[in-house]
Amino acid sequence: MSSLISAEVIIVVLMLVATVVAIVIRRVRLPYTVSLVLVGLLIAAWRPITVEVTPELILAIFVPPLVFEAAFHLDIRLLRGGLASIVFLAVPGVIVTAILVGGVVALGAGLSVGPAVVFGALISATDPVAVVSLFRALGVPERLGVAVEGESLFNDGTAIVVFQIALSAAVSGEFRFADSLFRFLEVAIGGLAIGLALGWLVAQLMARIDDRLIETTLTALLAYGTYLAAERLHVSGVLAVVAAGMYSGNMGLRGASPTTRIMLFSLWEFLAFLSNSLIFLLIGLNVHISELAANATPIAVAVGAVLLSRAIVVYGLSWLADVASRGTRIPFQWRHILFWGGLRGAISLALALSLPLTLAARGTLQAMTFGVLLFTLLAQGTTVQFLVKALGITGGSEHQRDFERRVGQSFALQAGMRRLAQLREEGLLSQDMWSGLQANFRAQKDQVMREISRLFRVHAELERDTLLQVRREVLLAERAALDDALRRGVISEPIYDELRRNMDYRLEAVRLIQEHEHGLEES
Amino acid sequence: MTLGPIVCATRGGEASRSTQEHAVALAEERGAALIFLYVADYEFAASLEPRLLETVRDELANLGLALLSIAQRRAARKGIKAQVAVLCGPVRETIHHYLVQTHASMLVLGASGPPTRHRVFTPEEVLHFAESVAKGAGAEVHVVTPEGKVLKAGAGTESPAKPTG
Repeated sequence: MSSLISAEVIIVVLMLVATVVAIVIRRVRLPYTVSLVLVGLLIAAWRPITVEVTPELILAIFVPPLVFEAAFHLDIRLLRGGLASIVFLAVPGVIVTAILVGGVVALGAGLSVGPAVVFGALISATDPVAVVSLFRALGVPERLGVAVEGESLFNDGTAIVVFQIALSAAVSGEFRFADSLFRFLEVAIGGLAIGLALGWLVAQLMARIDDRLIETTLTALLAYGTYLAAERLHVSGVLAVVAAGMYSGNMGLRGASPTTRIMLFSLWEFLAFLSNSLIFLLIGLNVHISELAANATPIAVAVGAVLLSRAIVVYGLSWLADVASRGTRIPFQWRHILFWGGLRGAISLALALSLPLTLAARGTLQAMTFGVLLFTLLAQGTTVQFLVKALGITGGSEHQRDFERRVGQSFALQAGMRRLAQLREEGLLSQDMWSGLQANFRAQKDQVMREISRLFRVHAELERDTLLQVRREVLLAERAALDDALRRGVISEPIYDELRRNMDYRLEAVRLIQEHEHGLEES
Repeated sequence: MTLGPIVCATRGGEASRSTQEHAVALAEERGAALIFLYVADYEFAASLEPRLLETVRDELANLGLALLSIAQRRAARKGIKAQVAVLCGPVRETIHHYLVQTHASMLVLGASGPPTRHRVFTPEEVLHFAESVAKGAGAEVHVVTPEGKVLKAGAGTESPAKPTG
């Protein structure tokens, strides 16, 4: 019982740290996950708490919600366009990375080929969290985000399978190509099949039940249950969760009410945020700077090998994918982002921690993993935004950004005017000061409003977009008023449910219209 | 003989402002009644469950009414008392039926940007549609681009939109 309480205390402390970081980061231009790693490093140096991280903790507890949430949100229609690239990067890409990195590390760091390829496999899984959140902030085209997220989802699964095969060969000293290929296909296809089957089953149940709590619980059962079932059957748990998440997110939601959708998306967004926060804090907490310093040369070789293999995979295999996809191409500029945005994270950490004690050079492999993780997160994670901007692939046109800027100025001026009026009421301003300052504010406000009117006139679609945004704001305010009315006992629960459901339908309809209009603009 | 109304079909796209201004200028010049028309085409949501589909239609109609009310106020500032109409259905067929039903003398509509996969009206399609409307409903058709150029159906000519102040 006491160990349970200790674990709870640690989780509460980590959640507190993550929350503080999340609040502070709103004012600092640094990706959230990168900040968590840095804070974890600081805590590790100070050592007020010690957290033992096991691979099971990461793989069985944190990874399923992360993978499920990403798969659940992934729009299969958008994925279809870039499927060839994603498959090329996630399957042959992982194998090529494992071999290339293994080869370079064996030559450059003086490791045996077996452990070197094990390292190549465990480091081949990309982690898109830092990059995808950055994409959202910068408004890059959705298809690029899907390409990065889709690759990561599938390469998590394939990297684990390749890792297991490489590890088995390294430990036993035997490698049979045909057996390994068969095992790879068995584990990967088996995982996908189990995920699809359970995803289908849950989708059928969700179609017959209209209860947001039960439906949400079903998805939680699906995420963790699929992982456990697949692992029990010795097939890929991660790929099973990917398949289950994609099926339930795309097919299972068809009959779900907007209320259920909102609850599902909110819950999974929260679980993914929590898992990510804890994972990246744990990465920082588990890095020992002294061990990294002692392994500086192998780490430098590993970083070079990872970058080299990423370049070969992204530029080389993307070309093959273009040939295979007959027309749906990944623009060349996007490949630079895929290359530099290929960060490493949770899966690599979990796999490195799971290395058996008997494996030769285990400590070096773990130091190399932490070194590469730190490099990709701190060097690539903090600079990829500049690359996105330099390549000019941030979303929205110049006039949209200009409009946004003016709206921001208008908001700020409005708040300034309110504060000014408040100060006057409090007797801090003389009549002359009030008149002078108010006139100045009004002149600024008029100028901003004239500019907004000009933009509405020249780019009429901005007016329509604003009307939709306003409609959404109004509906959200109405929904909050309903919550308040229920809390105060003004309306009964059945009436609240009826009205709230109607409001959720309206919000969902506005979202669909905005998405449709955005599609028209973007295309 | 009374001149049939001018129908200005608008959906709030990039050419909508110049289209509305051109329609107002024409109504003033010809002394014809002006109707702003918005067609809520919810075909994109056809695969949704019935209740959500119905809500999408309602919200599109709400959006349309808001857009047309703004256009109506702007026309009023120019001294034109315009009517508004929000209809639901496929854009082209609905506009065509409405023109016939109201005995419209003219249709003014906008053409947005370059041709794309998703656009309701590519410039070529607008002109093609304009030709068919001109023949079928017997109405004159003006197509206005975001830059204010006016393309006239059947005439094959193009002229800048009249300045509307």
